[in-house]
Amino acid sequence: MAEPDYEAFREEVRLFALVHCPPEIREVVASYRKLSRKIWAPWQRILHAHGWGAPSWPKQYGGTGWDARQRVIFDEVMAECDCPPQYHHGLRHLGPVIIEFGTEEQKQRFLPGILDGSDWWCQGYSEPGAGSDLASLRTAARLEGDHYVVDGQKTWTSHAHEADWMYTLVRTSKEEKKQQGISLLLIKLDSPGITIRPIRTIDGWHHVNEVFLDDVRVPVENRIGEEGKGWTYGKFLLERERLGGANIAPHRMALQRVRDLVQTELAGPAREEERGLLLHRLLEAEAELLGAAELGRESVQAVMDGEPLGLLPSVVKLSTSVTMQSISQVALDAVGPRLAARFRRVEGEGPNADPPGLEWVQNYMYARVRTIYGGSSEVQKNVIARQLFGN
Amino acid sequence: MPFAAAPLIAGETYETALRFGEEAAAELAPLAEPSAQATCLRAQWDRIAGLGWPGIAVPEAQGGAGGDIAELAALLCGAGRTGLALPLATACGVVPTLLAGHPLLPEAASGIARIAAILPGATQDPGEESLRRHSDGMLHGAAVGVEAPPAPTHVIAFVEGAEPALLLLRADAPGVETVASLRVDGRLAFDIRCRAAAPDAVLAEGEEALRRVEAARDLGALLACVEGVSAMGALVEQTIAYLNQRVQFGAPLATQQALRHRVADMYVEYENLRGITAAALRAATTEDALPWRPIAFAKLRLGIAGREVAESAIQCHGGMGMTEELPAIRLCKRLLMAEFEHGGRVFQARRLLAA
Repeated sequence: MAEPDYEAFREEVRLFALVHCPPEIREVVASYRKLSRKIWAPWQRILHAHGWGAPSWPKQYGGTGWDARQRVIFDEVMAECDCPPQYHHGLRHLGPVIIEFGTEEQKQRFLPGILDGSDWWCQGYSEPGAGSDLASLRTAARLEGDHYVVDGQKTWTSHAHEADWMYTLVRTSKEEKKQQGISLLLIKLDSPGITIRPIRTIDGWHHVNEVFLDDVRVPVENRIGEEGKGWTYGKFLLERERLGGANIAPHRMALQRVRDLVQTELAGPAREEERGLLLHRLLEAEAELLGAAELGRESVQAVMDGEPLGLLPSVVKLSTSVTMQSISQVALDAVGPRLAARFRRVEGEGPNADPPGLEWVQNYMYARVRTIYGGSSEVQKNVIARQLFGN
Repeated sequence: MPFAAAPLIAGETYETALRFGEEAAAELAPLAEPSAQATCLRAQWDRIAGLGWPGIAVPEAQGGAGGDIAELAALLCGAGRTGLALPLATACGVVPTLLAGHPLLPEAASGIARIAAILPGATQDPGEESLRRHSDGMLHGAAVGVEAPPAPTHVIAFVEGAEPALLLLRADAPGVETVASLRVDGRLAFDIRCRAAAPDAVLAEGEEALRRVEAARDLGALLACVEGVSAMGALVEQTIAYLNQRVQFGAPLATQQALRHRVADMYVEYENLRGITAAALRAATTEDALPWRPIAFAKLRLGIAGREVAESAIQCHGGMGMTEELPAIRLCKRLLMAEFEHGGRVFQARRLLAA
């Protein structure tokens, strides 16, 4: 595609977003409140009806057939228009694994529900003893006839409380090296033996859960690919995600919103100096984002040219996660004295009222996780150092 | 294979500048006396003049090579890796922009005219006043620490006032005093004091003077970023090489996770600066006028990232990091100085905040 075609595409996406994304959904995104299935699912339905349900899937499975640059443009425009980023567990994580490794029956059974947003997925990977070191997972599945019987515990399971299904890494053999003997099972969350308990996180929102599996029976046909090859599929999934960092638009939107917040929260001549200090910190964050945006552009180009991405994804993840934390720190400094004193645990719960702007306190807390999830900063630095030092 | 930084702009100009820079650094390294260093810098200046570098981006009709910004940037890119102690951004970018079509430009392009440029924001010692033009047209005031080629022959001075002006005067004119010093990064700087000095020419006045100063400074800032990226890339390489080779507690320092992570942080800063500089450079080569915002942001980043990377490199080198002759440490000092050139980070931040 030529340059003007990409610009025309950008406009087409923008027009669609502004016309078709319902205002009540965009309002939730713009105010940085927690997104849930009831926000995401209707938007996914709308996108699917337009043929844009799965930008990253091949056309034959209902994808758009867009190139890498179009996909990033799509994500950028969505962020700029306050549309929710597409819910990733089905579309970006599991879907491509089913397309690559699933049977024909599995494709027919699971892909349509992901595409139209009627099935909601969560990821059963982390366990109390297996976080960054995922291969140490111990949730075990033993074969009994045509079923696996699964026992164990998953944790940090985002969205399990609103999901229908959990794609789950389980240990099916203890004989080999720990990366081997892992299998990927699709488990229905209303199966007998499953207990889901919320984890109360520091931001007061409900994202993550503990999932207990107690003799849960899973049909063998719900295993993706071969038994014992789950690690390979998990890695495939992670590698698909590496372009995710190329879209800097959400960060730019956050920066602009916090700049507006500082201007209104600290309005007036009496607070000029304070305001100036915070705006200066945002300027430094903006400079960092400009650098990251260029690295994102290079990543897209590398994918378009079929070249390896090298360390770019790690570098972008490391730096933008910290920049987002810096931006959230500025927001906290702007509203903290007024609002941190009136923090509430969960929406609608507890004695505290719901003062406007409280999201910024919650967002500050939530932003801590950015350097933990998706490969913690320390893990990323290990990856970078191994490459830099050549050992 | 350990990390090897790729140049922002590769090619023949880059390679030539890199080779020159390496030789120049090797020549300077053993010289401890400032006077010997100054003599060496003078000889090196004459060599780059012979190579036509000061005229690389001057139109051919005015005695230059007619190169574009990318060509100029390639030069800085090569020289930047070696921390070359000559003021390339000033001599090859800033001064030709200030001179525009003036008859002195061919001499500047050939390196015969060696010009110090005093721009807004130039510093003075306590109690001194910045340069001003009195009602009789004579210049008074001072600027200290002005980066310039060896033994400047001319001074370009911006003067404020009701009608700001860009003036040209001879460095040996009556009433002009220049005192040389060596900067932290081994480059030459001059304290220039005028007492009733007569300008030779008015290069520009009013809006045009301001416009030219701004364009010159933005070009200088962009080139400083290009140099900074190269210096930083080389510095990351050299820090890795040191940590791989230095053995303590029975193992190379490169096995220590604390140091590996510090180097990863240096690398992230380097990549980010490389990204923002590449974006600014692309904008500068594709747009008609120099785009000031991307350059201001890049220069702001150079200030912050330059400090962090230089300080980390010194720390990673341990005691060796406190010694003067190490090539890596020369690069550290170059990065620290680059922060202040052509509008430092405070200047850029204020400008961006005011916009």
